[in-house]
Amino acid sequence: MRNPLRSEAEAFRFLLVVIVGAVIVVVCAYANEWLGVAAAVVVIAGIAWWLSHAPR
Amino acid sequence: MTTYTHVEGLPHDEHDHGGHEHHGPPEPHYSSRIAPSVLGMFLFIGSEIMLFGAFFTAYFFIRVVNGVPWPTPPYHLPVYVAFINTCILVTSSFTMHWALQSVKRGNPWGLRAGLLLTFLMGLTFLITQAREYSRVGFAPKDGAFATIFYCLTGLHGAHVFIGLSILLFMTIRAFRGHFSPEHHHGVEIGGIYWHFVDVMWIVVFTTVYVL
Repeated sequence: MRNPLRSEAEAFRFLLVVIVGAVIVVVCAYANEWLGVAAAVVVIAGIAWWLSHAPR
Repeated sequence: MTTYTHVEGLPHDEHDHGGHEHHGPPEPHYSSRIAPSVLGMFLFIGSEIMLFGAFFTAYFFIRVVNGVPWPTPPYHLPVYVAFINTCILVTSSFTMHWALQSVKRGNPWGLRAGLLLTFLMGLTFLITQAREYSRVGFAPKDGAFATIFYCLTGLHGAHVFIGLSILLFMTIRAFRGHFSPEHHHGVEIGGIYWHFVDVMWIVVFTTVYVL
């Protein structure tokens, strides 16, 4: 499992992932309200998956 | 399990095999298999999630369940200024990262410049936020929308203030030459906190200002 607070580099990487996720949600929400909700669910699930997989 | 030292009059540890005298304070007793630092980090994350989660729950309840228009007419949120502020805060995370990479590579002036820039950008963010509060045209007492707006942005602002205080000490220590490629734990911890504050702002900005 990744720990975004383990080091500054991990926290910075997590920040970049969150920024990308937020941009995806905003773009989808502007296209369609429910698409934005779906995108938010997918992005949160994606981040959770990314956190649960440790780097090789 | 007792962990007393081998001192006259005190009971011996059951694992204290004869011959080895232990001096100094007793060994810490861990009741969990999780390391204390990791446990502390999880507790910190948990407390922050609960704190911000409480305010976000109120936000979603007001906006989605109650169906209150966001922002409530005739008020407008300063989205453009908030976007510029977001760019400033995100850039400050890049300079923070640059500062830590510099100290790891033995570049003290890169560290100092990075920390100073991060501090100045964080200060700019906070001053701009305070300035916007005075110009936004509504107060926390002006309905649920205004209350939750000030609560969410104010809670984040408080975190930025704490981050700035940490950054100030880090910057002073950097200029005094307290950090080296081998010893820079103070910068690492401060950097983690600063990125965390940035992540929270991305979530607050996206939900409160943009969506």
